[in-house]
Amino acid sequence: MTNVSRNEIIKADSRGLRGSIADGLADAVTGAIAEDDTQLTKFHGIYQQDDRDLRAERMKTRMEKAFSFMARLRVPGGVLTPAQWLAMEAMARDRGNGTLRLTTRQTIQFHGIIKSNLRPAIQEINAAMLDTIAACGDVNRNVICTPNPASAIHAEALATAHALSAHLLPKSRAWHEIFIDGAPVAGGDAEDEPILGRTYLPRKFKIAIAIPPYNDVDAFAHELGLIAIEAGGAIAGYNVAVGGGMGMTHGEPDTFPRTGDLIGFCTPDQVLAVAEHVVTVQRDFGDRADRKHARLKYTIERIGLATFRAELERRLGFALAAPRAFTFTRSGDPSGWITGADGRWHFALFVENGRVAGPLLAGLHAVAEAHDGRFILTPNQNLLIADIAPERRAAIAAILAAHRLDAAPSALRRNAMACVALPTCGLALAESERALPGLIDGLEADLAEMGLGDDEITIRMTGCPNGCARPYLAEIGLVGVKPGLYNLYLGGAFDGTRLSKLFRRDIGPDAIRACLRPLFAAYAAQRAPGEHFADYVIRAGAIAATTAGNRFHEDLPAELAA
Amino acid sequence: MSAPALAPIAPELLAPLDTMLHAASPEQLTWLAGYVSGFRAAGAPRAVAPPVAPPAAPPATRTPLTILYATESGNSETLANAARKAAQRLGFAPRLRDMADATVAELASAGQMLVIASTWGEGDPPQRAEAFYAALLAADATRLPGLRFAVLALGDRAYANFCETGRRIDARLVELGAQRVRPIEECDLDYAAPARAWTEASLATLAPASEAAASDAALSEAAVIRVDFARAPATEDGPSAAAVEITERVRLNSSRSTAENWHVEVSLEGTGLRYEPGDAIGIAARNDPALVAGILDQTGLREDAALAAALIDRFDITTLTPPLIAAYAGLSGEKRARDIAADPVFARERQLIDLLTAAPARLTSAQLTGLLRPLPPRLYSVASAPEAVGPSAHLLVAAVRWQAQGQARSGVVSGDLADRRAVGERLLVHVKPNPHFRLPEDPDRRIVMIGPGTGVAPFRGFLQRREAAGARGPSWLFFGARQFTHDFLYQLEWQDWLKSGVLSRMDVAFSRDQPEKIYVQDRLWEQRDALWRWLDDGAVVYVCGDAKAMARDVHAALLRVIADGAGTDADGAIAWLRTAQRDGRYKRDVY
Ligand code: SRM
Ligand SMILES: Cc1cc2nc3c(=O)[nH]c(=O)nc-3n(C[C@H](O)[C@H](O)[C@H](O)COP(=O)(O)OP(=O)(O)OC[C@H]3O[C@@H](n4cnc5c(N)ncnc54)[C@H](O)[C@@H]3O)c2cc1C
Ligand SMILES: Cc1cc2nc3c(=O)[nH]c(=O)nc-3n(C[C@H](O)[C@H](O)[C@H](O)COP(=O)(O)O)c2cc1C
Ligand code: SF4
Repeated sequence: MTNVSRNEIIKADSRGLRGSIADGLADAVTGAIAEDDTQLTKFHGIYQQDDRDLRAERMKTRMEKAFSFMARLRVPGGVLTPAQWLAMEAMARDRGNGTLRLTTRQTIQFHGIIKSNLRPAIQEINAAMLDTIAACGDVNRNVICTPNPASAIHAEALATAHALSAHLLPKSRAWHEIFIDGAPVAGGDAEDEPILGRTYLPRKFKIAIAIPPYNDVDAFAHELGLIAIEAGGAIAGYNVAVGGGMGMTHGEPDTFPRTGDLIGFCTPDQVLAVAEHVVTVQRDFGDRADRKHARLKYTIERIGLATFRAELERRLGFALAAPRAFTFTRSGDPSGWITGADGRWHFALFVENGRVAGPLLAGLHAVAEAHDGRFILTPNQNLLIADIAPERRAAIAAILAAHRLDAAPSALRRNAMACVALPTCGLALAESERALPGLIDGLEADLAEMGLGDDEITIRMTGCPNGCARPYLAEIGLVGVKPGLYNLYLGGAFDGTRLSKLFRRDIGPDAIRACLRPLFAAYAAQRAPGEHFADYVIRAGAIAATTAGNRFHEDLPAELAA
Repeated sequence: MSAPALAPIAPELLAPLDTMLHAASPEQLTWLAGYVSGFRAAGAPRAVAPPVAPPAAPPATRTPLTILYATESGNSETLANAARKAAQRLGFAPRLRDMADATVAELASAGQMLVIASTWGEGDPPQRAEAFYAALLAADATRLPGLRFAVLALGDRAYANFCETGRRIDARLVELGAQRVRPIEECDLDYAAPARAWTEASLATLAPASEAAASDAALSEAAVIRVDFARAPATEDGPSAAAVEITERVRLNSSRSTAENWHVEVSLEGTGLRYEPGDAIGIAARNDPALVAGILDQTGLREDAALAAALIDRFDITTLTPPLIAAYAGLSGEKRARDIAADPVFARERQLIDLLTAAPARLTSAQLTGLLRPLPPRLYSVASAPEAVGPSAHLLVAAVRWQAQGQARSGVVSGDLADRRAVGERLLVHVKPNPHFRLPEDPDRRIVMIGPGTGVAPFRGFLQRREAAGARGPSWLFFGARQFTHDFLYQLEWQDWLKSGVLSRMDVAFSRDQPEKIYVQDRLWEQRDALWRWLDDGAVVYVCGDAKAMARDVHAALLRVIADGAGTDADGAIAWLRTAQRDGRYKRDVY
């Protein structure tokens, strides 16, 4: 291939993702590692970052940037034991910034781990029988799965998530060598990577498993969306959606979010092969020259869905069956106590923007010490305290009450997500996690005033157009442009099946509120029974429906079309 | 400060001098200090000295007198010199001995001896005197029955172990059979007058009877050599002090840090002040005006503007000592004050204002100042080399802050620099040379620098010098602080020096980055193999910074490294390090 991107060369020369990471870790005078190695640590679930709040003062203080590392766990399906939770809490306190950050991919991120703490941090993760392998990088990322333990097929879907994650894991032992054993095999040859290949994938690759009627994983936002079809309390198979993705770049219309295409159905015994070959087709056909066009969604746009499907089925050696019927009702999480046929109880705890800190951390510490079930992270950055036996419910409820974790926030806030953005995310153009709560205060008041206080509306904010909180699939999407300014997107479906569209450019929090108020008022007055906000604004003509990713930048409101 | 009662100047001459000094601006004082030292250096007749009797005719056989001193920052040495001169005039045959070079055995035949010793650390002897001190206190020390002696102890009442070294030497000499001819004299920081009186009296006691008559006059003349302007001691070859402009003042820690280290640059342009890396700069202290106001309020002296001005920069208005409390109780006469005076721990962690608040009393201006000692300057290691920064000096000042009596408090000088000073303002400074803490002459010599916290300051000066000189000697720096991200002082500069090879190695210890505390001494031990190779290869080891914990722990770690590397036992390591210290390969500047 001609003109491959720099990352391709780094990967090729990395001796199985080793690079000179170990040397970089040994240099105690800088908090950073070599630049090329920062690309490689991603494959090990580790990002080099710097505290952007401190950038301005660092020159004055004669210190380099305030470097630290973010580590991201690989937790297929988001399931942890309470003991693992406690171990991760201790790790964050001892090695990180003392907070746990639940992500939109059902895992935990640790921020602020300085270099000298990185190996101990990863070792503590390993000791808790967890890892960070392939949590980032050009590989298959954490496999997410609807966290609904009340569903009869959740266990089976979860097992599939684990199997997929394991099957697509890099074979390289570099993670163990560098971070755990501390004994890199000098000059050792890279391991064979039969599925991923020597240069791994052109770009990140994501898989989600949805258990209808919930679409909390946003099944159409990933390279591969698997929609579990239930029959008689078991999984009959999976509808297969390919080519979803969120990220785009402001001002570059050839980048766009895209909802995946439903191409068929496979049985449970075919699902690993299907995933493997979606990966290998993307491995061989993906763009390795321009990382901005390297995701599967662009591969499919480029070669066409039919060609993609033909190549996939050729490699599989069988044709996919026709997709089965299913219904999605929502993409947000439930709230409060839920139960299923087996009588076990689960408490859906709202975690604002996934940040577990302060009193919430203390409260969950108490829960984890008392709880004998599971902790399940949700793809909406929330936490499910799962598998509470009926007779234990009162005890857990008492702990939740004692720590005030049982108070239900407004319907809008429960359906809100914000990505991390500042100060750690190097790509952030504007605040997100630190800005959304304040904005919601205002919107909440407006909605209550109009009698919409109990109506669920999804709202998601990101600090840049990469789309980490999947903002283009929310009814109200806010995407950072520059400090204090956001683009406002409307029309994303409540159930996550339709993308939104740009409604206003470059507006600040007050303008956002002013711009939404009349829409809320009209919605309150004119909505049809059960009609969601996004469907209403489309029906009312405020915004056009986005029918496909490549139409995302089309049909803009007249005043923006210029 | 009023001219001491024992000043060797006639009262009628003293009064105008006193008036003039009190009226003088800082600049004028500086000029005067310089003038006096220059005047002296030029050998001019002493206009202000009282009439002096002609030197007594030397006696036929001179009485031998050993003047033994132990010094860290040179005060004892200066006094010992003055005593030597006085003794000479009185017909003794004085022999000046630095404890660093002396042995206990040689005292057995000394006959008569004056000891002048200061206290450091937490009641420790000056470091170069450690070997002698240990030998003197050792169970098997040579007995000294024929020795007659007197001890002058220098110290600072602000420290718990006031004059400890002098006290122990004094007691030990008696234990060893020597005869104490005068009770020990314990001096606070304003030691000049009591030291002079002690010297005079001790020599009189030790002197052969026939010469006693001559002693008064001779002593007076000898002692006038030291006109002590407290904050402006004269240096050999330049003006003693100058008011210099602050040209840069920046906190080096991140805004998230729990520590506060200020990088302060002052311009020496046109002052003639000169320094070498390793020296310290003394900064004349200026008290917090708010504290001064509080003290004046408490004592009913609020209206006294002249007093207020004096309390700002001439008197120590923070240090609380038992003698001060006792004097205050006497003035006050109230029961509360007497109770406090009887409480042995009241002074601990408290300051003068706490006493005034706890037992208020109305005082006159003279009563108040009579309680106070002069305000001593504070020393800061220079963190630069003139060849790199031109006519300026860089300082690294840690803001000293603590909570007491429910209030946030800060150190007089470091707090002033951190909270109340701005670029463009002036500080009154002098240079305190530290000839014992200099780079090796040989630019190829290996050096190991151990300087956590502000202790790293002189090493920045060392490396600036080595860089400017193109020196090729290997160098190894051990630095430590609380947090890597927030407290890595001068991080970019060390990185540059590591890249260019001016600095060969650097190891860092950050105590609060991980659950377990890690300090420089832990790094010394971790690196023991390489470190021993450097030591064995003749590296000069420098330690600078905190004396209380760090220097002690580093010393212990070095002993372990040496024992491990040389394959000796603890005593062998101690001997190794003593030899290194004597040979100038182990140098400490700790405070
Ligand atoms: C933590 C998380 C957001 C959150 O608040 O939860 C997150 C945070 C970051 N994402 Fe993301 N992404 C997260 C889910 C997503 C999602 C949602 C999803 O996967 O369901 C997306 C959109 C889906 C997609 O991939 O298209 C997403 C699309 C991106 C992109 C754009 C990728 C693209 O090809 O368009 C980037 C930038 C890149 O890769 O170049 C990115 C990059 C980043 C980085 C690592 C920034 C960087 O590359 O330097 C962010 C770290 C910030 C920080 O300080 O923690 N992140 N990121 C999510 C962690 C997921 C996980 O646990 O694995
Ligand atoms: C040779 C030498 C070199 C030095 N170099 C440097 C240097 O490079 N950088 C540097 O920062 N300093 C250096 N120092 C120390 C410096 O001289 C001062 O001692 C220091 O800055 C404190 O002075 P200050 O006027 O701020 O505090 P002061 O007003 O002198 O107060 C210090 C006093 O505060 C009291 N105190 C402190 N903490 C507490 C507490 N927790 N509770 C109760 N009381 C407390 C104690 O009585 C202590 O003695 C050096 C000292 C020496 C002797
Ligand atoms: C870091 C430091 C520690 C000191 N510790 C004590 C002490 O414990 N007890 C004491 O009486 N004086 C102490 N002093 C005061 C000195 O003894 C005093 O400054 C003396 O004049 C120094 O004399 P020198 O220059 O001869 O060493 C200390 C001074 C410093 C700077
Ligand atoms: S959306 Fe942008 S700002 Fe937010 S975490 Fe992702 S990359 Fe960072």
